[in-house]
Amino acid sequence: MIKDFEHFAPKTLKEALALLAKYGDDCKVICGGQSLLILMRQGLVAPKYMVDIKGISELNYIKDEKDGLKIGATTTHRAIEKSPVIKKKYPVLVEMETRLASIQTRNWGTIGGNICHGDPAGDPVPVLIALNATLTVAGAKGKRSMPVENFSLDYFEVDLKDGELLTEIQIPVPPPRTSTVYTKFNIIESDLATVSVAASVTLGSGDGVCQNVRIALGAAAPMAIRAKKAEKVLKGKKITEALLSEAGEVAATETEPISDIAASEEYRRELVKVLVPRMTKEALARAKKA
Amino acid sequence: MKKELKFKVNGQPYDIFVEPKKLLVEVLRDLVGLTGTKRGCNSSSCGACTVMLNGMAVKSCSVLALQANGAEVVTVEGLATGNKLSPLQKAFLDHGAYQCGFCTPGMLMSSTALLAENPKPTKQQMKEGIDGNICRCTGYNSIIRAVTAVVKGEYKEAK
Amino acid sequence: MSEYSVIGKRVHNVDGTEKVTGSAKYTFDVVMPNMLYGKILRSPYPHANILKIDTRRAKRLVGVKAVVTGKDTLGRKQGIWRRFPELCDEEILCRAKVRYIGDAVAAVAAIDEDTAEEALDLIDVEYEPLPAVFDPMDAIKEGAPQIHEGVELNININRHIEWGDVDEAFEKCDHIREDKFKCSSQAHVCMETHDAVASFGHNGKLEAWTSSQSSYYIQRLYADMLDMNESDIRVHNRHTGGGFGSKFELDSAQFCAAILSQKLCRPVKIVLTREEEFTATKRRTPMYYFLKLGAKKDGTMLAKEVRVITEGGAYTAMGATALYLTGFFSSFPYKYPNYRYDGYRVYTNTATTSAMRGFGAPQSTFVGESQLDMMADDLGIDPVELRRKNGMTPNYEVPGQAFIQSCGLHQCLDKIEEHIKKQGKLPPNHGIGVSAYGFMSGGIFNWFNTPYAFSAALVRINIDGKVDVYTGACDMGQGSNTTLSMICAEELGVRLEDVRIFSGDTGICPPDLGAWGSRQTLMSGNAVKRAAAECKQQLIEFAAAKMGANIVYDLDIKDRWVHLVDRPERGVSYFDIVKETIRGKDGVAIMGRGHYTPHRKGMISPAYSFGVQAAEVEVDPETGRYKLVNVTTAHESGTVINPLGIEGQLEGAIMMAGGYGFCEDQPMDEGKILNPSIADYKLIRSLDMPETDILEIDTYEPEGPFGAKEAGEGLTNPTAGAIGNAVYKAVGVRIYDLPITPEKVLKALKEKEKQTKKAKK
Ligand SMILES: Cc1cc2nc3c(=O)[nH]c(=O)nc-3n(C[C@H](O)[C@H](O)[C@H](O)COP(=O)(O)OP(=O)(O)OC[C@H]3O[C@@H](n4cnc5c(N)ncnc54)[C@H](O)[C@@H]3O)c2cc1C
Ligand code: FES
Ligand code: FES
Repeated sequence: MIKDFEHFAPKTLKEALALLAKYGDDCKVICGGQSLLILMRQGLVAPKYMVDIKGISELNYIKDEKDGLKIGATTTHRAIEKSPVIKKKYPVLVEMETRLASIQTRNWGTIGGNICHGDPAGDPVPVLIALNATLTVAGAKGKRSMPVENFSLDYFEVDLKDGELLTEIQIPVPPPRTSTVYTKFNIIESDLATVSVAASVTLGSGDGVCQNVRIALGAAAPMAIRAKKAEKVLKGKKITEALLSEAGEVAATETEPISDIAASEEYRRELVKVLVPRMTKEALARAKKA
Repeated sequence: MKKELKFKVNGQPYDIFVEPKKLLVEVLRDLVGLTGTKRGCNSSSCGACTVMLNGMAVKSCSVLALQANGAEVVTVEGLATGNKLSPLQKAFLDHGAYQCGFCTPGMLMSSTALLAENPKPTKQQMKEGIDGNICRCTGYNSIIRAVTAVVKGEYKEAK
Repeated sequence: MSEYSVIGKRVHNVDGTEKVTGSAKYTFDVVMPNMLYGKILRSPYPHANILKIDTRRAKRLVGVKAVVTGKDTLGRKQGIWRRFPELCDEEILCRAKVRYIGDAVAAVAAIDEDTAEEALDLIDVEYEPLPAVFDPMDAIKEGAPQIHEGVELNININRHIEWGDVDEAFEKCDHIREDKFKCSSQAHVCMETHDAVASFGHNGKLEAWTSSQSSYYIQRLYADMLDMNESDIRVHNRHTGGGFGSKFELDSAQFCAAILSQKLCRPVKIVLTREEEFTATKRRTPMYYFLKLGAKKDGTMLAKEVRVITEGGAYTAMGATALYLTGFFSSFPYKYPNYRYDGYRVYTNTATTSAMRGFGAPQSTFVGESQLDMMADDLGIDPVELRRKNGMTPNYEVPGQAFIQSCGLHQCLDKIEEHIKKQGKLPPNHGIGVSAYGFMSGGIFNWFNTPYAFSAALVRINIDGKVDVYTGACDMGQGSNTTLSMICAEELGVRLEDVRIFSGDTGICPPDLGAWGSRQTLMSGNAVKRAAAECKQQLIEFAAAKMGANIVYDLDIKDRWVHLVDRPERGVSYFDIVKETIRGKDGVAIMGRGHYTPHRKGMISPAYSFGVQAAEVEVDPETGRYKLVNVTTAHESGTVINPLGIEGQLEGAIMMAGGYGFCEDQPMDEGKILNPSIADYKLIRSLDMPETDILEIDTYEPEGPFGAKEAGEGLTNPTAGAIGNAVYKAVGVRIYDLPITPEKVLKALKEKEKQTKKAKK
């Protein structure tokens, strides 16, 4: 049962921040509510005041700029999925979105809400890590930015201080000869990930050497993580099957998975061992074509 | 404290006061009195409560009613025109795309939204279109056949 | 060409337009003046004594109108096995002891659901937790906690079935296999959760609306529990949002709503939440299976021995039937000359297990068909061939148990063999698995102890020739209202649109046991057919007199035309005859009554349907993940009354039975179900659904109306077994416990790899 609360629907970021500053701890941000309302119904969250940012249009945008892509926090999953410019320049985001929940949830749920929810099994964060994205948050005292991989702190815990809102996601223009891919492993197609892997590979010019690689894992630790040691195995080398499988083994050691009803800890590690090489190889193949 | 909610349901304007915690599904069923929209899980997982909100399919159990302020909502009751069924409704009948019928309003709303957005979906897109909706009776394939028939234009005259 | 004018046509359900327009009213939608909303407080302990319940704080909450506990009931225990009082063991509102997490201890009625829910938090219950036991293998051990007074080793019931000389037969076998399996639980997940509106009047009579598969059972069980006359209780069955075996026992929503309404004389509505639906209603029975199978070199199966221990959960429910049927169907669909079954149902401190679509047969089919494939492998015989060699044939007697009249198993095997051949060589890591099955068309058992016929119907023809059918049968979505209307129209010679059906209202319909055990097409169908025939006879008598036809002619009615069978052009309008017959009867509408109770049809069922299924999977050997590619079913169910209905039953069954094999499960920790939500309980969705094909086989069942038999539950039986066999064909590993998850497949693959390496060394 959802407890009574007072509802505010600010129209601007400024108004929203003022409300958050005013009500402090007693208040909670709602955007699409797709994740939050479930928690509220279970009585896990029961704020006195709700600041509803769904209608703040200044945070709802997709901009393709010189230094990269900017996505406002209240942009829906579906808007990202259907954006022609994203489809053209960042197809991995579209691939990721089409497998995120159902159309109904994507129509109303937002990318900002997803990131702030801090679910380690969420799809966007691993992809954004692989894409080397940054986030901007705003509070009464001003703005700050950070790499997306630093934002998640623990299970359902993110680096948002009281009164702060996530406002924007920035994705830099990928270097030439780069390709990013994503897969999520689950049993029911549209379900949350049992384990997910995003991999981004940048090839050196002409030599076929892996100049740079970013590997991110979802549902393999209390938050989405970068498999930095596995990246090291591959970076600057000409990639072979042996190296790939070594990267998989190393990535598995970087995880801290849990056992739950979807899978055991061991199985999740096994999946990482298989999927990291598979995805890296896929990214490599696509980067060669790019 | 109750707040004003002004919105349209199936073309009819409503101006009512609701508690902020009320979900769209509750307002539609209990206050507007349209019980066609069902509730199967109350947690965004089954799709029985699907309605169209400004043309998009959403799960009305997971949308605060106040977020529909100023919006146009279409429920299953809004699909037929007078005594004329919509093409999808007819196709659902002919293809046995329902059994107990409890998921059917949601299925119809998801498929209606799908075709409104994309009149020529592929089979895969049709499956994606109803993937947020659980049906424990039909096994989905008859629903896909019904949508396919509409896409092929077999129900044109029904419009 | 079919000689029928209604039967065999693809028609949409008679309630279809209501369902596609949202105007169909379910119990979930019922709102009445002065109505209150109820909520139920449930035990957080798997096993505990209730020391004290203090409801004072809850009663003081503004908006709360009543709070009841077990003390407000008569303290009776109910159960659907009414013939055996010791098996009626469930109080519903517990007075002294709770036996599973979810057992009801109190209920509240308030002005709205939120208030009622808030009040639940204000009820103080003092429990004394008791040691609990969750696994039947532990519960039957000496010294295990006793769940029901006086029930030793927690053995609720045991069943024994035997024919031939099993021990002697094993001696003669060239090859014997012994295997162990474990079948998991499964939730029904009806889209409409259990719900009820109960309304007591000041006259002491009860009227109830509830989502159920058997209005009569609910009426009778209410009468038992409330000590009332059956006739003072009227149970309505509106549209029902799914049943699948979960909705024909008295449940907590129905009972608590009635107890609350009795106190207040106001209508009380209770709708179970999805979480309650998962944790506090009944579910499929998990089973430990021990199988021994013996065969000759040529594949002749000589003997089978089956031992089963089932997890009963807290109460008996329909579990006794599941225990029996899993034993009986373990012999299906084969002619074992020697067979022995011993089954034990064991109480545990878990949610009660009971009936679910297939009723024990999905379990027996999974284990039996898995083992049969292993046997085929051992003997080097093709799996289809092995099934053909031993499969049942028409007019076969299951020794001392049952008589099978129509049986199309062999045609089904031929079709499936053809289908597999057509697929040619499969791509790597693909496999096709086969599974054969049979099922009953309604049970002959009367543990409910009904004094009435199993099915009954009334048919009335009004002055305008339109026909009203009254039947206690319940349509929960399987389309029985349509099937029965079609049977009536065919028998009477009118069109489907001439028939209107009133079903499941105990106030106006004759009692019928309801929709379970796939009984309605055959049993209720026969009752309706007979009632219609009685009406028709009256019309024909009158028409014969009126037409002055030669006495040698037979009359019949087809498509509203009353005519001479041999001279169809000679006839009169059905509508005219109806008018005149009614006038001739002094203005009384034409009425016919019909009933059906199987007699001399063995101990199980009057008829059986059969089929063979082939499932194709594609396995990713690195992760164990597999995809259901295609499921093709060759199936016979006698005369097909409504092809559209059968297709729906079949595809729906694959969603459910495929789920049983693939992903559905109810893992527990200390009796607590860990996935009580649709988000966590994995269900096959549209993107996961395989392609489905049906190969229909013609048969005719002499016992069924127009030759029809069941086509509902049986279809749930084969899929888990077919999937298991397909995975084996694809990558060579066998999974012995359901569901067959990718994790288990990968583990088995690694194990196999290890064994191969070892063998090489
Ligand atoms: C059935 C179902 C299936 C799902 N499947 C998937 C899946 O497969 N993959 C996946 O990744 N996700 C999945 N999700 C999660 C869901 O899609 C996202 O978490 C959702 O989109 C969140 O967006 P929202 O706008 O609805 O957030 P809300 O629910 O409104 O908010 C979520 C949290 O973020 C906070 N918040 C929201 N916006 C901001 C902001 N701008 N600044 C600061 N805090 C903010 C809220 O206070 C709250 O704590 C699923 C959800 C459901 C219900
Ligand atoms: S009731 Fe809204 S998704 Fe189930
Ligand atoms: S028709 Fe019953 S759930 Fe879909």
